[in-house]
Amino acid sequence: MSRAGFAAGVAALALAAGLAGCDDGGAKFDRRTQIGAHPVLPEPHQYLVPPIHVAKVVGWGPNEAPTAPGGLRVQAFARNLNHPRNIAVLPNGDVLVVESQGPNLEPITRPKDPIVSWVQKLATGQSGDKPKGETNRITLLRDADGDGVPEQRSVLLSHLNSPFGVVFADNYLYVAATDAVLRYPFTPGQSKITAPATRLTELPGGPIDHHWTKSLTLSPDGKLLYATVGSNSNITENGMEAEKNRAAVWEIERSTGRARVFAGGLRNSNSPNFYPGTNTLWVVANERDELGPNLVPDYLTSVRDGAFYGWPYSYYGQHLDPRVRPQRPDLVARAIPPDYALSSHVAALGLTFYTGTNLPAQYRGGAFIGEHGSWDRDELNGYKVVFVPFANARPNGTAQDFLTGFLTADGKVRGRPVGVTVDRSGALLVADDTGNTVWRVSAPR
Amino acid sequence: MTADPRSDRTTPPGGNPRSTARLFGHPIHPMLVPFPIVCFIGALVTDLAYLGSANIMWSNFSIWLITVGLVIGGLAAVTGIIDYAGDRRVRTAGPATLHMILNICVFVIELFNAFVHSRDGWTSVVPTGLTLSIISVVLLGVSGWLGASLVYKHGVGVRS
Repeated sequence: MSRAGFAAGVAALALAAGLAGCDDGGAKFDRRTQIGAHPVLPEPHQYLVPPIHVAKVVGWGPNEAPTAPGGLRVQAFARNLNHPRNIAVLPNGDVLVVESQGPNLEPITRPKDPIVSWVQKLATGQSGDKPKGETNRITLLRDADGDGVPEQRSVLLSHLNSPFGVVFADNYLYVAATDAVLRYPFTPGQSKITAPATRLTELPGGPIDHHWTKSLTLSPDGKLLYATVGSNSNITENGMEAEKNRAAVWEIERSTGRARVFAGGLRNSNSPNFYPGTNTLWVVANERDELGPNLVPDYLTSVRDGAFYGWPYSYYGQHLDPRVRPQRPDLVARAIPPDYALSSHVAALGLTFYTGTNLPAQYRGGAFIGEHGSWDRDELNGYKVVFVPFANARPNGTAQDFLTGFLTADGKVRGRPVGVTVDRSGALLVADDTGNTVWRVSAPR
Repeated sequence: MTADPRSDRTTPPGGNPRSTARLFGHPIHPMLVPFPIVCFIGALVTDLAYLGSANIMWSNFSIWLITVGLVIGGLAAVTGIIDYAGDRRVRTAGPATLHMILNICVFVIELFNAFVHSRDGWTSVVPTGLTLSIISVVLLGVSGWLGASLVYKHGVGVRS
């Protein structure tokens, strides 16, 4: 009798060992093989407890700054911001900094939810490094003499609903809050907006609102806006009905607000940008979690009208995700692999194409990408701004580290880059939401 | 009391085996065990519903049932072990040891099952989660039967 019990116990332990024994293979994996057009994709692994590594936030000391190559100068353009996520530059040179936090609408649907949301808040610097002041606003910084030190700072808009994207066109300022594109009458030079907003287009916000950042860009002819709308889950665990019109790039007619889904299957795309001088839209996107430390690589891709990029059914073309039911072979068959992999879980959120003349000529026409950094792999990845060279309006060459030093030598976090843009003088601006700073990278004078 | 205990096992010398973990004279262990039994069987049912429908609601039900089953099953295990340790006659009463070992197996399997069910999407249930639910419900059937034997046949916790 007790022999049978012993056998059952052994069986249970063997099962346990088998389940826990899925090693991540991460230690020996060469991350460089996941940069470029043809990333190496290991077999997916599922875990009992997925690898999680949330680095401790220590912030920047008064004399500390990230480092850029080739003797480029890095200075704090603005400090003491409250979770700055994105930056836009107006025609008169004024810099708009979007300070923002998630809407916190996710209900507890499973016992794991409170644990995961706590971990992710640590990772985004929202818990361990809570903004001390008001956020969900846009701060205007004016550096009229272009020396990298703003003379004027004012709150342009406040009490917004988790804003992210901001675009100026024809005396209107368009702000993508998490639930709508708002339009404000605005003349560059204004330091505060008091006029009420028009809700140009409703966007999918709550309920849930898992990926809440809605970014914006303007079409080259100025008639259309493009807004990114992230998925409402990691991999459809909130049900397919929660994903309607999400994981997509929306096209919005600026004059009427009429909108349509321009492209789909992009799990969490951000920072849409047209490649200068072309009609090709590019985004950076964050891919799915919990398939292993080296799956699935985040990416940079051009976005074609009507195209489908895989999420949730597959990744990088026809690599099926075993977690999605019912599957959609019809959509998988036409899923397009993205153009350029950036390595796994780097959390690429910021993208800008360099058209200035301040930085050395090698950067002209290439892409700067803000990588917020990983939380769901043991070895930290991202936490830097990289540069992807372009030739003939296509990525050409390996991504290079551009702005680093966001991690300390012993793996603690000083800051985390998000949105990137180029200011009027041609310097690169980088929003650092954990360091509560905007950094400016320029050629030494 | 009979002279030879082997001639009538239901009334051993000195009365029935006593329950140590009691509340106002009632053994606590039998009050708690219905919760894990119902929760783990319920999780198997909702796993099967998810298998048939792919409606994520059912897999959410499963992980809540498994979690509650583990919490109250853990309390049931503590009171059971107190009863087992508290009276030598409980330990020697028929299948008490096997009953305990099987229940510990069920607890360990369901603990792993909780982690498997905490994955996202289809593979939180199919195939590993569903398999673990089936194994633990089968073991639970055997151990529950043995637990009933301890009371109805061997008089554990029954007032003499």
